Amino acid sequence: MGVVYQHFDSDIFQFRSTTFPQYVKTDGTYNPITALAYDATTEEMAYVRFRAVNYGSGNITCNIGWYPDTAVSGDIIWGVSLSAMTPNTDVTDVETKNFATEQTVTDTVLGTVGQRPHECTVVISNLDSIASSDWAWLRVSRKAAAGGDTMTGDGWLVMVDISYSDT
Amino acid sequence: MAVAVLSDEERRRVWAHMMRQAAVPVIKSEFRAAVDATDAWIDANQASFNSGLPQPFRGAADIQTKTLLFCLVAMRRAGLLHTAEDGR
Repeated sequence: MGVVYQHFDSDIFQFRSTTFPQYVKTDGTYNPITALAYDATTEEMAYVRFRAVNYGSGNITCNIGWYPDTAVSGDIIWGVSLSAMTPNTDVTDVETKNFATEQTVTDTVLGTVGQRPHECTVVISNLDSIASSDWAWLRVSRKAAAGGDTMTGDGWLVMVDISYSDT
Repeated sequence: MAVAVLSDEERRRVWAHMMRQAAVPVIKSEFRAAVDATDAWIDANQASFNSGLPQPFRGAADIQTKTLLFCLVAMRRAGLLHTAEDGR
């Protein structure tokens, strides 16, 4: 039994024509940082496509790497949802396929120093019947309208990593 | 002529923009309350500000110019405005 890891820089995410996070880049002092800036007042979302290489069974662990643009306190809520299709088998229109029910995680800003790297995890159990080699899409949103999302300013998504069992 | 109170959407946009400018250790709703209060204060006090301006400036300047004047003076007081006369 092994574990399959897939890494997605936020640079490769795609968007619909509305409610998308801004693609941002800052020079930094020593190295450039690119990210997706999720607004604090309106829910925004971004999407990444991947193949479910060697997916075996079980939940998918999704790590969200992000940092607060300006906040030094408060909570942010990230939402993750999965859509999977089996080519040559599924009879659903790929352009109208919906996502499985979204799951969320609340992460608390660490404070002390601004713009610290944060990481939180969503264990995706709403798997949309994903199978090995499926075409899959991951949607990442910030639940800005939720009462528990109290963090001021943008949340900058830097990377997303998923992992799952190959058996 | 007076400036109108902001709509909810206009306040939301100011709120989002302002949160990108400043790190204040409060939660999001508390930040929004400050935006609402500022807009309400302007609404309640703009007539007083206008009447405090001396003539002939009061009669000659339009609402945009008076707003800019207010903002620039306030920014200078807070150290946020640098002018060509400062030599930088």
